[in-house]
Amino acid sequence: MKIGSRLLLLLLQNAPYVLFVVLLVAFGLMSDRFLAVANFRNIIIQAAPIAILAIGMTFVLLIAHIDLSVGASMYLTASVLALYFTGVPWPVGLAAVAVGGAMIGLVNGLVVTRLGVASFIVTLAMLFILRGIAMWLSNTRMLMFPDAITDLNRTALLGIPSAILAFLVVFALAWVVLHQTPFGRQVYAVGEDPEAARKAGLPVERITLACFVIAGLCAGIGGFVTISQIGAVGPKYGDQVEFAAIAASVLGGVSLFGGRGSVAGTVFGAILIKTVQNGLNIINADPYIYPLVTAAIIFLAVAIDGLRTRILERLEQRTIRPLSEA
Amino acid sequence: MTAVPPVDVERARARPTGHLRLARLVLSEYFTLVLCALYLAAVYPFVPEMLTAEVAANVLSDMMPLLVVAIGQTFVLVIAGIDLSVTAIISMAAVVGASVMTGTGGYLAGSPLAVPGAILAMLLVGLAIGAINGLSVTRLNMPSFIVTLATRMFFAGAAIWYTTFHSASSSIADLPAGFTAIAEGDVLGVPVTVLIAVAVAVAAHLTLSRSRLGRHIYAVGANPKAARISGVPVARTILITFMISGACAAITSVMYVSRMQTGSPIVGENILLDVIGAVVIGGTSLFGGKGKVLWTVFGVLFLVLLDTSMKLLGASLFAIFIIKGGVILLAAMIDTLRHRLMATR
Repeated sequence: MKIGSRLLLLLLQNAPYVLFVVLLVAFGLMSDRFLAVANFRNIIIQAAPIAILAIGMTFVLLIAHIDLSVGASMYLTASVLALYFTGVPWPVGLAAVAVGGAMIGLVNGLVVTRLGVASFIVTLAMLFILRGIAMWLSNTRMLMFPDAITDLNRTALLGIPSAILAFLVVFALAWVVLHQTPFGRQVYAVGEDPEAARKAGLPVERITLACFVIAGLCAGIGGFVTISQIGAVGPKYGDQVEFAAIAASVLGGVSLFGGRGSVAGTVFGAILIKTVQNGLNIINADPYIYPLVTAAIIFLAVAIDGLRTRILERLEQRTIRPLSEA
Repeated sequence: MTAVPPVDVERARARPTGHLRLARLVLSEYFTLVLCALYLAAVYPFVPEMLTAEVAANVLSDMMPLLVVAIGQTFVLVIAGIDLSVTAIISMAAVVGASVMTGTGGYLAGSPLAVPGAILAMLLVGLAIGAINGLSVTRLNMPSFIVTLATRMFFAGAAIWYTTFHSASSSIADLPAGFTAIAEGDVLGVPVTVLIAVAVAVAAHLTLSRSRLGRHIYAVGANPKAARISGVPVARTILITFMISGACAAITSVMYVSRMQTGSPIVGENILLDVIGAVVIGGTSLFGGKGKVLWTVFGVLFLVLLDTSMKLLGASLFAIFIIKGGVILLAAMIDTLRHRLMATR
């Protein structure tokens, strides 16, 4: 029983990697363009914004919360940037959307921590509020961005395209914060068991707040990278990207139940999702099935997470009380 | 800590009565009805046509589809779950039902069984998606909100895809007159949709308050572990609530399709906030274990009053987004406040 559980656990934990290899082989067989180096570069460039969003989402998921408002936050910050920051140099624009995103995260975090409302319902309501404000500001028009921002997409530093560079910087920072600082360890502690963390003297509310701010900040930065890539935003901009971000995190091994996962896994998840979309694109699949495939992947990832959590609970129960086995 | 300043003593003494009054109002059964009356009084000076018979009849007919799907949602919220997929169920049922009975290439076109067959197919779609949700929650240990987000995305996409096989345009038209009569017909002056909604409401009320299933549902919502130990079939109860929610969404779909006279794959797209908002503002708790059909009726009334008044005021879609988002947030906050007040009592 125990060995069986462990084997199943091993399989479940590596399921995304198995899936990735299967996809590479399958798409590779269907199209010879898929396995080209240039295509992989494209996949990573396309995955960069989702990866940045998902890195922020990872912080929120690690403390067993969720942020459904990141897509709407991207739309609102982008609208404000296009309408009120015309003609500014790109670093100012980036700072503006990052600060705007962080402020939205702060509001989410304050409502969750101070009023104790479930995060999924707070951020679901915020999704509609933020999207409504953005549509109101922009009058639901298409908003164009200046060359100063769209030129970034064609810029590279040391041969690294700017989108990948931004993603690498965010990834490195998040990795250091999560795995090398006391704050990172506290995030895991709060996610594992908020009551125990509170009793151990951790400022649970402040940590929760900080995670929502980080998610908002990443939404701002990820949104900026997206803007530089697409150059114009309409009312559908950022719609449902929160699902892609959640799926990337969960595929990468972050648990919706908190306390488990890493940013490296999340990045893998983001690349996996974009690989699927890129592959579907290359084999000329029916565009109507894209959302179906994405939803199926999210479902699969969460099902794996649920089963894994159940098995881990069972395994941990036995190691705590070895006597019951005798 | 012994020397407390006198001012604080005064304040501490004054607090309970104010708190108590607030607590009594917020915990009251009729809190939402009071809210409806207050809201009506507040907007009346700006939109006096709110109190005309014509608008009242409109409010009533707008309420019915929303009420049925909200009643299904009430069951799921009572077991501390949530069903975000109802909008996709409405859309999927709409296109499947329309594809069965449409005069142009429907599976049962022209047959006398077309209308009953279509309605049966719609109910089956609702029950099936509900079963997928319920089994994912119980068998695969998945949180209900993320399961239903995924099924929502899947079936919303699937509904659009399905339509492409059955119609050259973006929706499936040419529905038989027997079906569109559901929205227009009446029995002794009472519209058929009102009769359907009242029947669903009464059945749901009796199930929740008088049946063993109802007691099981409340027990699972209040404390699943205790329910399991007491011999309640927890997994089966959860599965049934999701299937009830799916079936209710399908009935709502019947009402919408007969009213619009076409099976559109985006018919349910925009009502998610209304459904969740109505149930939660009615007083059904997101924490589970607490909820009544009557509360949901009040909640739906409030939401429809809000909607109607904003439309009469000429509010734009984005203003409605902002206000409804704010209402949900407010409802969730009141729910949390209630939860805390109950805990301290």
